[in-house]
Amino acid sequence: MAQQGYTKGNAPGSALVLRTNDDGEAEYDAIFRQGHAASRTVHAKFKDLIPLRDRADFKTKEGNGLLERPDQDTVQSTAERTRLALEKITQRRVVAAQPTAGQLGTNRQPEYVRYTPKQQGSGHNSGAKQRVVRMVNMPVDPLEPQRFKTKKIPRGPPSPPAPVMHSPPRKPTAEEQKEWFIPPSISNWKNAKGFTIPLDKRLAADARGLQEVQVNDNFAKFADALNAAERHARDGVRQRALQQQKLAQKEKDAKEQHLRLLAQQAREARAGLDTGAGHPGPGTTDGTSASVVQEGSPGGDRKQSYEEREALRRERQQELEREVRLSHTGTEQRAKMLARAQGRDLSEKIALGLAKPTASRESMFDQRLFNMSEGLGSGFKGDDTYSIYDKPLFTGSSSSSIYRPSRNADSDAYGGGSAEKITGMLQQERFEGTTSGFQGTSEGAAPATRDGPVQFEKSTATKPKPSADVFGLDQFLEQAKKSKRDLPEDSVGHSSSKRAR
Amino acid sequence: MSTTEADITKRFAQHALQTCATFTDEYGMWPCEREAYATPNARTRPTTSLSHPSTDPLSRSVQSHALVRRLEDAGGPTLTRPATSGDSSSVAQLMAVEQDALSRPMMAEAQRPEWHAPWKLMRVISGHLGWVRCISVEPNNKWFATGASDRTIKIWDLASGTLKLTLTGHISSVRGLAVSPRHPYMFSCGEDKMVKCWDLEYNKVIRHYHGHLSGVYSLALHPMLDVLVTAGRDATARVWDMRTKECIHVLTGHQSTIADVKMQEADPQVLTASMDSTIRLWDLAAGKTMAVLTNHKKSVRSLALHPKQFTFASASADGIKQWKCPEGSLLQNLEGKRSIVNTLAVNPDGVLVSGGDDGSLCFWDWNTGYNFQTMDTIAQPGSLSSEAGIFSSTFDQTGLRLLTGEADKTIKIWKEDESATEDTHPMDWRPSLRRRKY
Repeated sequence: MAQQGYTKGNAPGSALVLRTNDDGEAEYDAIFRQGHAASRTVHAKFKDLIPLRDRADFKTKEGNGLLERPDQDTVQSTAERTRLALEKITQRRVVAAQPTAGQLGTNRQPEYVRYTPKQQGSGHNSGAKQRVVRMVNMPVDPLEPQRFKTKKIPRGPPSPPAPVMHSPPRKPTAEEQKEWFIPPSISNWKNAKGFTIPLDKRLAADARGLQEVQVNDNFAKFADALNAAERHARDGVRQRALQQQKLAQKEKDAKEQHLRLLAQQAREARAGLDTGAGHPGPGTTDGTSASVVQEGSPGGDRKQSYEEREALRRERQQELEREVRLSHTGTEQRAKMLARAQGRDLSEKIALGLAKPTASRESMFDQRLFNMSEGLGSGFKGDDTYSIYDKPLFTGSSSSSIYRPSRNADSDAYGGGSAEKITGMLQQERFEGTTSGFQGTSEGAAPATRDGPVQFEKSTATKPKPSADVFGLDQFLEQAKKSKRDLPEDSVGHSSSKRAR
Repeated sequence: MSTTEADITKRFAQHALQTCATFTDEYGMWPCEREAYATPNARTRPTTSLSHPSTDPLSRSVQSHALVRRLEDAGGPTLTRPATSGDSSSVAQLMAVEQDALSRPMMAEAQRPEWHAPWKLMRVISGHLGWVRCISVEPNNKWFATGASDRTIKIWDLASGTLKLTLTGHISSVRGLAVSPRHPYMFSCGEDKMVKCWDLEYNKVIRHYHGHLSGVYSLALHPMLDVLVTAGRDATARVWDMRTKECIHVLTGHQSTIADVKMQEADPQVLTASMDSTIRLWDLAAGKTMAVLTNHKKSVRSLALHPKQFTFASASADGIKQWKCPEGSLLQNLEGKRSIVNTLAVNPDGVLVSGGDDGSLCFWDWNTGYNFQTMDTIAQPGSLSSEAGIFSSTFDQTGLRLLTGEADKTIKIWKEDESATEDTHPMDWRPSLRRRKY
């Protein structure tokens, strides 16, 4: 197998013979030709490394048609030769692909062979002198599996490699290496290695930056038109408002005029009445004081009226002084004063311990979520377990604060009323003649105020009691027993009072 | 000092003479070629016995709404190569004689590069929804097809740049396209391991070539035989018979993904460039490697065959190299801007274009390897700066338009600046007088 391609010169398996060429130089390139056809071109000499155009004899050779294409005859003959060779291969392939009768071996004509045995005689060959043997191909089952296992033939040694006609690759310089550096690609979604990516690179990688947003001109036009319309409308509104204002002013003026006229008339009428008795008091200019004077005048007590006037004057002066003082104080002071006047100043309350912070926070949360041995993380238990209502929704102090305003609750929320007032209000009977509670229930006794949600108690009685202790016999007996043992005197009332609690 | 200066002036004189000589050579070859390109319909269509009657486009039904037929009948605007007159051969011969007398035989002279007009952007076609991975221009130069990462193949009018057709069928990005000059077929391959044969008369897939084990990255048609070769990520190149869909050869030998494959009519008929940084030349008849070129250090992403010379170029991240064909000997290294080159294209004028992964576009003079222009494509507005990259490029059949498929999902069409002359855009060529050491 391996020796198939050997040329005539080299005996199979033998070592290569060193030969010399015409110039007497050793032909070392024979090693590259070993195993190849004689027509194989092998470039193995130093001369082959030198480009033809750089050789001195190139000019003359080029002139002699070194680079010319082969002439038509050569081309034609090559084509013909190739065509025949390829056609042969194709034919073989095509024929091989078609199933033939010969492969099946059925209709091969039988052969007849005349057979004359060497040993003649009646004892031999059942007495026959000759036999005609009919030879027929044994029919072959076309579907019969292969009788022999085909083994893959190991490959022969490869043909000698072509001589390498270039210098060994140079080591890349640092610069070249830098040129070949390809930055690692970084996903926009994952960054497993945690590279730091500058924002501008991120933006550059984002193709959305390449898109130019085109806004229609009509948007700008529309906005302009809206602006203009708005301005126009506002102008109109303002004009109308002015007009109305003017009208109102005119009306008001007319009314004032009328009033003034009336007043004038009234004054004139009054003047006409008491020109003799009237004294022009100090407060006559003022309408109110005038009336006071007029009211007081029938009494005629001058001193009293004088004192009243004095008191009024003092009061006004005080007010004026206060205003002056106020106007001299700073803004902070004034704000504080204002706040106090409106009841918004809490500083005093805080100082007195009256101010209460907001109600405790615990009422804001579902108590069932606290202090659980297993949280929600342990799951919602089974579907079957009916354990949602096994604990009260609110426990502890919060349960009382939800349903009823207590002392702790912020009184401001109820318009400044205190807790006592509210309890009072709640207990007050607003509707006369009605009884709270149903008939048959304990009348008179006010229902105990609940301080929590209605709670149902599990009936602890395993066996039904025959009847409620209607006459208090049992109780009495018990007391009697106890009192005998423990307390000799006045214990009955005492213990009963205890029990009543 | 004075001696060296004199030497330099003498050298330049020589270069001028040589350039004249090369011009005559070029234009001496031109007129016949020009005729062939000016009338693309009159192109000779060699038929071999491998081609079967159904593949002949003329034998198809006339009334079909075929892309091919319609285009041929339409007679729309086509690009044709303008006539250039080069008739100074006698003068140049005289000069060449003089040059022979002056030349020093032992020194390899730096040849003065031919002047090429600078290229400029002509049109940007956007319509694909993914990277444009491959471009192929139809032989009649009326339309071109592009395959993209949006899993579609789109067919565009070359003159106007309008979309004619969108072909869907691939389920992953389309990586290779080829329009057959001898059949009404287009072939496409993609990362979905599929190689499809489209009938352009019905615009439907008519054949699948099944066999690749991984994505198919490149595809090439034989110019004379009904054979196509595909290569891809499974490190194999497969030769398919077009009609029977048989895989004739599996060309194995590469160690890594094959990035590009090319076919030509003379041996080596198949060339593959691989990510294992080797280029292999294959004997198509035997299905064996003819030569392995190991000069590249980095993965080779693209190959380009010169239309007239028997040479080809290969592009890798470590540079572009040119090779001479039958045996694959190194012709020259093209030195210039280093970038990962995705694609190469050559036109009959000897302009080599390399499109880089970073969007750089370099134009080289094929014969001298002089980089006469370097550009950067501008990504279309709305794309990231990193989306400037060229994946595929091709010249149209006249070689006057360059089409590039880019990472910004556009196809760009470039053309030569007609107003430019050698005076307005002088060549900035500074040959090094230093002897190169090897």
